[in-house]
Amino acid sequence: MPSELTLTVNGAKQVVSAAPETPLIFVLRNELKLSGPRLGCGMAQCGSCSVLLDGEEIRTCITPVSYAVGKQVTTIEGLRAVWAIEKKLSAAEAAKTLHPVQQAWIDEQVPQCGYCQSGMMIAAVELLARNPNPTIAQIKDTFTNKPPSPHLCRCGTYAAIIDAVQRAARAMKA
Amino acid sequence: MTLKTEMSSDSPVMSFATTLTRRGFVKMGGALFVSVSIPGGFRAETAERQASTETNQLNPTLLASWLEIRSDNTILMRTGRTETGTGMSGYYTQAIAEELSVRPETISLVMGDTDRTPDGGYSAGFLSGMTNVRKVAAYTYQALLGLAATQLGMPVENLSVVDGVISGGGKSIRYGQLVEGQHLDLKIPVTGELLKAAPGKWVGVEGLDGLTVTGDPPMRPLNQCKVMGTSFPVPGIPDKVTGKTQWSCDVTLPGMLHARMIRPATLGSTLISVGTMDKKQFPAAEIVKKGNLLAVVSPNEWEAISASRAVAAGTKWTDWAGLPGSENVTKTLRAYKWNAPSESRGKPADVTSALANAAKKISVSYEQPYVRHAPIGPFVAVADVRSDGSATVWTHSAQSQGLRARIAYMLGTTPEQVVVRWLDHSGQYGRTTFGGDGAESDAVILSQLTQKPVRVQWTLEEDMKWSSVSPAWVSDIQAGLDPSGHLTALHSVFYSPHMFDPRPIGALLAGMPCSASEPGGWVATEWVYDKIQNRLEDAYGMPNLGAETASGGLRGNIMRTPGQRQQNFALEGLINEAAAAANADPVQFRLDHTTDERLINILKATAQAAGWERRSSPGPQARKTGRTPVNGRGVCAMRRENAYWVGIAEITVVPDTGVIHVSRFTIGGEPGKIINPRQFGLCMKSGVAMGLSEALKEEVTFDKSKVTSTNWDRYKILTMEEMPEIKIVTLSRDDKQFGGGSEGANAVCPPAVTAAFFDATGIQAHRIPLTPSYVTTLLKS
Repeated sequence: MPSELTLTVNGAKQVVSAAPETPLIFVLRNELKLSGPRLGCGMAQCGSCSVLLDGEEIRTCITPVSYAVGKQVTTIEGLRAVWAIEKKLSAAEAAKTLHPVQQAWIDEQVPQCGYCQSGMMIAAVELLARNPNPTIAQIKDTFTNKPPSPHLCRCGTYAAIIDAVQRAARAMKA
Repeated sequence: MTLKTEMSSDSPVMSFATTLTRRGFVKMGGALFVSVSIPGGFRAETAERQASTETNQLNPTLLASWLEIRSDNTILMRTGRTETGTGMSGYYTQAIAEELSVRPETISLVMGDTDRTPDGGYSAGFLSGMTNVRKVAAYTYQALLGLAATQLGMPVENLSVVDGVISGGGKSIRYGQLVEGQHLDLKIPVTGELLKAAPGKWVGVEGLDGLTVTGDPPMRPLNQCKVMGTSFPVPGIPDKVTGKTQWSCDVTLPGMLHARMIRPATLGSTLISVGTMDKKQFPAAEIVKKGNLLAVVSPNEWEAISASRAVAAGTKWTDWAGLPGSENVTKTLRAYKWNAPSESRGKPADVTSALANAAKKISVSYEQPYVRHAPIGPFVAVADVRSDGSATVWTHSAQSQGLRARIAYMLGTTPEQVVVRWLDHSGQYGRTTFGGDGAESDAVILSQLTQKPVRVQWTLEEDMKWSSVSPAWVSDIQAGLDPSGHLTALHSVFYSPHMFDPRPIGALLAGMPCSASEPGGWVATEWVYDKIQNRLEDAYGMPNLGAETASGGLRGNIMRTPGQRQQNFALEGLINEAAAAANADPVQFRLDHTTDERLINILKATAQAAGWERRSSPGPQARKTGRTPVNGRGVCAMRRENAYWVGIAEITVVPDTGVIHVSRFTIGGEPGKIINPRQFGLCMKSGVAMGLSEALKEEVTFDKSKVTSTNWDRYKILTMEEMPEIKIVTLSRDDKQFGGGSEGANAVCPPAVTAAFFDATGIQAHRIPLTPSYVTTLLKS
């Protein structure tokens, strides 16, 4: 049965009505109209639905919405604000500044179909928070071996993702 | 409506107003006139309004249906083609900018909407689609010059254009000013027709290419291009990165229901009884059924999911077990009674005699199991079927007009009643090129039954079980060498279930009309070894495995670099085996069998970049046992759609575990003029990822009744960790027009990898994928 749940998504409090076991992705997409997290496998095997929960990547296709109550949910729509707060940017600066990971994804022209790339960027943000200067081997390891599954891209943009993560790492240190 | 719109050179000038003086004429290509008539701006809205009320189709002979110049000097172009993910939207933009002499940033595109774009066509048909918009832009450019000549009082020859500003005699005017308050009445000459259902013929539809803009307007010589040849960014990327893109899965309509399909237990099952649904537990959910099509709908997506699972658990289907099992596919293809080849190319008598006279003969067979497109996002679609019989479908199909024709055929209505709107979504890799497959028919049927808009989201398991597949194949090749080790004759035979069945599963299960295809095969290779004078290529097709079922069985469909991907694996495998038989270096062996300068150039450049050492395979290091890695390298080449490709794989194999690691892949490409160097490089690299995935990992498995490789643990694709270092080599030339650069790269991986495997182990692999278990079996044999 639906209950009223209070979530914090991209910095804003949101009250939603949903059955507590509803996977978070359906609440984010259908109730809060966020299109960043996208449904892929539905069983935590691909990573296209990833968001940050208190800074840690989770797969929203298997995470019940109730699990997110009281925690900070960040989707790609909120990455810009995360960076602005971290860098204490003025409102004017923040308005024209993307998160360095997003900017790197544009600069390296990473997305092809782009369906998986939201999850890829979430994984990159989490990695760079943990390791500001990852090697190619460490990037590959994170995107492949970190549980629960590899981040999969069928268009085959892996090489561009590696370049973009390294570009973002340089930008974030600058 | 299907349009036949051939224009002749004496077509009348269309004018909407008689009161205004026609101020300028420009005539080009025998079929083009310009007049300046009614006020109200140079806009396509008139055409759109007409389209929405009468035919749901723009009139392609009107310039306004294609292109709009606004008073702020920005430009809107409409194309029936769509972005496939490989950067098409960027290339279209570059082509238009080039011919109009404007900055590409000022151009926006409307793509793929059947009621808002004029020409149709399939999205992988980029070269023809680009030629359409390029010609329209070129016609428009000439018309604008004519208008400016009148306005500025200068002859056209004295005018120059930079960034959409026409200057001459010390005066200048922007395009936007030139057309403001005026209607540029320019007729676009077109030929062909939009796609229509053609049951029993080829893929079941006709008009895949859509309309073609004809005539020869003056276009920018390729060696003078300013925009084509630059790395213009792909327009949609910033929105995809920031979350602003509206994807086809994001479409919501008032009153829309979410649906989850309940599919049959096997490929051949029919429905016995529907499971019950507890209305207390799922108060808003409803079961919807038509024939063997079964679904649960609800305004709430999670309720639709939960209820569909509950209903599925209690639903009974008949048993069926008519598949051979994936482990027996080769045996099944071998046992099939093939009729005459669908296509045969070459000279049978010459090949027979050359083979008989050969000093050395090679006779080998190659094979590959079923593989699939396997996008990350399963099929999704939204449909709104109204009581007046009209239907609107929101989709990411790569063939909007084809989908429109198929939906109309299914509903027993005319295409005028159907509108298809296109949005971005997960890649298709060819599966919707023929306008079928997908969730659209499910959504249309459910919307018709519920009388509400319906969104159908497939699950991954459903997509892996029920979407179309790239069929298994076997190929036999015989070749003859002369005493000096030159190939004198080659005969290849390709056998496969056909790749022409994109019928949508929803329509099939519901028992609604589907425009069926004619099973067959085709010779897909493009021959580059002109020094091999005697050659014969035969291709055979057969119906789907399980074709007799209501679901159509394993519906075969094309997949990226179709036909050629498979046939080139066999052909290039043979070339590598022949080089080994001749004790020749495989690069030099190829050079010795061609006079094609373009192949020679890219082959040499790629070999040099890879640091290729001349020697024959297997290498001196080769061994087939041991727990330590052994190295190998291999090469292959291909020509496709006016583009030349070379792949060089460097791998390590651990013989005792069978694990292959591709350490470096050097890929060379020469597609005539490169439109966008950065994007070409990115497509090459991503193509390598897809090709290595197929070479090393991919196989659709099935038992006697259903597909069993139903998730990413069972249908494995390449991960980031398995990516090699990739070196790209590109050659661009201005004298060979444009070639296909977006696909092709994937096809050069499997033959290069198997050649490298032979180089490392001395064992020929005649099958992909080279999984550890297959490799260890091979090395022990």
